[in-house]
Amino acid sequence: MKPRTWIILLVVLAVAALAGLALGPVSLAPGTVWHALFGDGDANAVAIVRVLRLPRIALGVVIGAGLGMSGAALQATLRNPLAEPYLLGVSGGAAVGAVIAVALHFTSLAVLPIAAFAGAAFAVTLVLLVARAAGARGDPRVLLMAGVVVGAFANAAVMVLLAGAPAETVRGALWWMMGSLSDATWQGTRWVAVYVIAGGALLLALSREIELLALGEDPAAALGVDVERATRRVYLAASLVAAVTVAGAGLVGFVGLVVPSIVRALGARSVRSVMLGAAIAGGALVVAADVVARTARAPAELPLGAVTALIGVPFFLSRLRRMT
Amino acid sequence: MIKFDDVVLRYPRAARAAVNGVSLVAPRGAITAIVGPNGSGKSTLVRALLGRIAPERGGVSLDDVRLETLTRREAARRVALVPQREEPAFPLVVRDFIGLGRYAFGGVWSGETPADRAAIEHASNRAGVSEFLQRRTTDLSGGEWQRVRIARALAQGGDALVLDEPTAFLDVAHEMGVFELLDTLAREGRAVLLVSHQLNLVARFATRIALLHNGALAAFGSPAEVMRGDLLEKVYEWPLVVSRDPAVGAPVLVPLRHRAPRSTQ
Amino acid sequence: MSRALVLISLITVVTGACESKPERRESKVALDDLGDAILNSPASRIVSLSPVTTEMLFALGAGPRVVGRTHWDLYPEAAKAVQDLGNGMEPNVEAILGVHPDLVVLYASPSNRAAAVQLIKTGIATLAIRDDHLADFRRTLMLLARAIGDTITGRTIADSVERTLHAVQSMARPARPPTVFWHVWDKPIMTIGAGSYMNELVEIAGAKNIFGDLPEPSPQVTLEEIVRRNPDFILVGPATVQALRESPLWQSVPAVKAGHLLVVDTLLVARPGVRLGEAAKSLRALILKDTVR
Repeated sequence: MKPRTWIILLVVLAVAALAGLALGPVSLAPGTVWHALFGDGDANAVAIVRVLRLPRIALGVVIGAGLGMSGAALQATLRNPLAEPYLLGVSGGAAVGAVIAVALHFTSLAVLPIAAFAGAAFAVTLVLLVARAAGARGDPRVLLMAGVVVGAFANAAVMVLLAGAPAETVRGALWWMMGSLSDATWQGTRWVAVYVIAGGALLLALSREIELLALGEDPAAALGVDVERATRRVYLAASLVAAVTVAGAGLVGFVGLVVPSIVRALGARSVRSVMLGAAIAGGALVVAADVVARTARAPAELPLGAVTALIGVPFFLSRLRRMT
Repeated sequence: MIKFDDVVLRYPRAARAAVNGVSLVAPRGAITAIVGPNGSGKSTLVRALLGRIAPERGGVSLDDVRLETLTRREAARRVALVPQREEPAFPLVVRDFIGLGRYAFGGVWSGETPADRAAIEHASNRAGVSEFLQRRTTDLSGGEWQRVRIARALAQGGDALVLDEPTAFLDVAHEMGVFELLDTLAREGRAVLLVSHQLNLVARFATRIALLHNGALAAFGSPAEVMRGDLLEKVYEWPLVVSRDPAVGAPVLVPLRHRAPRSTQ
Repeated sequence: MSRALVLISLITVVTGACESKPERRESKVALDDLGDAILNSPASRIVSLSPVTTEMLFALGAGPRVVGRTHWDLYPEAAKAVQDLGNGMEPNVEAILGVHPDLVVLYASPSNRAAAVQLIKTGIATLAIRDDHLADFRRTLMLLARAIGDTITGRTIADSVERTLHAVQSMARPARPPTVFWHVWDKPIMTIGAGSYMNELVEIAGAKNIFGDLPEPSPQVTLEEIVRRNPDFILVGPATVQALRESPLWQSVPAVKAGHLLVVDTLLVARPGVRLGEAAKSLRALILKDTVR
């Protein structure tokens, strides 16, 4: 990708972040926002900007970056431009974990993310085990199928759990499943950031292998890649990054699916530049979507996942056009 | 250089072994060809070289080093394999594509070294693809694509080159081009091992031919020894004649219209 | 055990347009989508599918006639002995039929319409009520009183409750009423708006709901907006108060930071039942720290 395009991407991210600070359900003058950033001025404005909006933007950038990188890595490794970070059971498993936590009335802030992550991690492990039992040696199709199987089971479990649950539980579970940055705290964001950065670094370290896996299993093996080991590492790293983002903000769909395509369309060629570009673009997209989620129907808040889902429509339309 | 030593290869849960005790050698400086009907075990031998199927008995070795003692990277540095089919998920620039052949030499974070650059340039020249290094892989014709893949294999720098059906889908001109390139590469000292359906071209260019039949070697020798009408008829289960091409002096296989075979022996 | 000869239900329609002017006559009731309603004889086996109506029936002395309740109807104590029939919303019609009622009282909501129709088809009288506003209280109580054939007790109770409410309302109010935010639900943050009787209770108690300008009964709001509107007090249920105290995000609300969290007895105020008077008194005591004589 040309240096100019990189700069444009970074500028877009910066603009999105600024919009996230300046815009929201409560309208604040730019001057007020600026002063509030440094702790000066109206105490309420300071609280809104520094305690509520700033960690939200930070979390949004981290979530978007994680989803973008995870999507880029999986699309290349699975040789499928429609692959996305939740593919290997992440969303289903996380939903089960979250619903169980909500149903058991855990009100502590920390329990829900941990339960979601645990559910996702369990589901990913299950997918890999199912694929191994089916005899596949990293065959993408078997893995995809295993992901579908585990996902279907998880969906059924969620429905069963919600069927007998009281209205509040259903509402709470649905709200979580639609994704939201509204619980962003500095402490929580720090944790998510640490794991996303670690996972992202792992994916970047695997970028040469991913580049070769994108050619196919036989060519990759011929060129010196230990196909089974490399694909397993990519799946684990990408899925765990996705699971961490789910723990931080619920299910935010379409970001991991759409952003790598956008970055490729902008000219990124190597897997490494696609992943890095997807990290930046993903962060910008999530922050921008969050601004829309907060302002479109103030004082109510739209779920973040609902806004990102809207992106899916033009994306798939354009792919359809390109196919015909 | 590449040696299959009484190799038995069996797919999981298969009743019959796909390759049942095959021994052959592909030495340096020559083209060795593996031929045989569909399902005779040719591709399975290639898979064994890729490390994707482990021998039940016997072994594969490169320069007398057993394949299972080498990591994939080490193996890739010694033998370059061009698989039958390849469809990259995303378009690549030809130069970058060829550069992927240097994977086995680099570390995790390393970029392109001068040695890499030299190898890529050398390989591109040998394969005759230097003119379209900046084109995209999706814009290449069948023949160009094949040469680019051979260039990538050459960039791997090893002494052995294995190709699985390198001329499928190529027209006569491109087919000849590839075989002549392989011939030159062999003469330069490489061990070239290829699997092919193209019996006639194989007969002209290969030094030795291994004829596989139901997972076993039906014959392994010079074209004159292997290209015999009765043998080929039995293996391919089709009536044919082998005559001599006056222009090049090599055996030519001519399949006949179906009727009862000439000899019943 | 007798079934009403004329089957019909009176369902007051849920949507706001029809809600604007409910007719409050005791002999004839408001028209609904399914037709006019006349109850011929007092019901003797009643299924009550709402905690409010269960409470009211017991207060009216008709406890012995209640043969089925929802899972959530736990007041008064005696109600616990009544058979639990599951959900009040989208109720299990089979389970209801199993206790052979002659009257089924349900909450008037679109999700209950199908069940009401099914019950009517089988010949059971149904009574669907809305209880979102304080004004609905008297009407609901009187409808139930009519159904059991004891309007005198109904009037007595209604008058008593309204007297208490009036008494609380007449108490001295400060020049600037204290502002409150009522935290009803956490994810997403939901509170009470003008469409809920709880809002009316807050006003009767002498305080002001910061989101009283929103028309819905339970609007969803953002933390930012709460910070901006800066309530004096936060009303919160006992299960959630600790989480609110510990949340770094809620610290941005000055009332939380200053510790002005008031724990509401949710069992008392969550239902617009016969204890509305007590609910108003408790809110007044909680927020303004004084009690009615």
